[in-house]
Amino acid sequence: MSQDVEPCRRRTFCKACIGCLGAGSVAAVGYPVLTFLAFPQRLAAEKPVELPLEQLPPGQAHYAQIRGRPIVVLVNEQGPLVLSASCTHLGCSVIWDAAAAVFRCPCHGAIFDSTGGIVSGPVNVPLKQIPFDVKDGVIIVS
Amino acid sequence: MHTLRRLRVATEQWFDERYELRPLIEKNVTKKQVPRTLSWAGCFGGLAFMVFLVQLFTGMLLLMYYKPTPEAAWDSVTFIKSNVPMGWLVQRIHVVGANLMIVLVIMHMARVAYYKIFRKPRELHWLSGVMLFGLTLGLAFTGYLLPWTQLSYWGAQVGTEIPGGLPLIGEAIMIWLRRGDNITGETLGFFFALHVWVLPAVAILLMLGHFAMIRRTGISRPL
Repeated sequence: MSQDVEPCRRRTFCKACIGCLGAGSVAAVGYPVLTFLAFPQRLAAEKPVELPLEQLPPGQAHYAQIRGRPIVVLVNEQGPLVLSASCTHLGCSVIWDAAAAVFRCPCHGAIFDSTGGIVSGPVNVPLKQIPFDVKDGVIIVS
Repeated sequence: MHTLRRLRVATEQWFDERYELRPLIEKNVTKKQVPRTLSWAGCFGGLAFMVFLVQLFTGMLLLMYYKPTPEAAWDSVTFIKSNVPMGWLVQRIHVVGANLMIVLVIMHMARVAYYKIFRKPRELHWLSGVMLFGLTLGLAFTGYLLPWTQLSYWGAQVGTEIPGGLPLIGEAIMIWLRRGDNITGETLGFFFALHVWVLPAVAILLMLGHFAMIRRTGISRPL
């Protein structure tokens, strides 16, 4: 019976202690390093974008970000409109051309009209419309 | 426990069959002979190297969030210290480590100087060591500017004025260091490049030489 069990020698005990200390050290260094590295986006909390209407002259685009994605707010004759500013082709940010009243994608030349509809270029899907609220003259996108 | 041990032994055998590491490790680490009379004061150089490794590692971490432009530098350091989880710790370790490394290098040099270890055959150990000391100070000085605070700005101002006091070539050195007449964004970018790549790379090469020489001649035996 007793021959099967390895006797608890001093060396075994010391080795176990060193092992525990080592594991503790690895944890003490590893935990801060992992949290430091795992940071991305956690802080970019979901804050709604709020824009007062008087700051948005008609025919001009205003850019903002929601959850790290670009959006564009545009006021035209029909009232305010919020669109995703990511081109539906490969995701570049589209640029508002006020003179021609179209969005142009700088990457592959796609063109969208002022409501996000396709005018020309390598796209099959119009710009996504994003729901929003207007409260006391302030546009809220959440 | 037994499976773990078997796994370890198997792994060791796998490597030994291919690379014959065991004699190498025994000779250099586990069964390495050092003079019986060697005191703990002989550890300062090794400790300085350990701190250098810590600096290398924390520096890599800080580099992931730091932005070396006049507009963004201070904000990014503040961001690291107050927003990134454990960022305050990493940044503090890097700052304290810088000071500690200078202290340890000076203690190492003081011992070598006091016991006259720099004499033949170790003249070049000392020479490379003095260069490494200069690089340590250079790393600390260039790193000091990076947070772009008032303190670091004026620190760099004064620090670059010191070589400016040299006759004839002084002003040229000062302008070269500052990348212009004043401390600007150009200086920040230059110091950043020196701090994260140029100086550490040179220091690592010199360290390799320094350590190889110590291996070749052996540690000096106290009388």
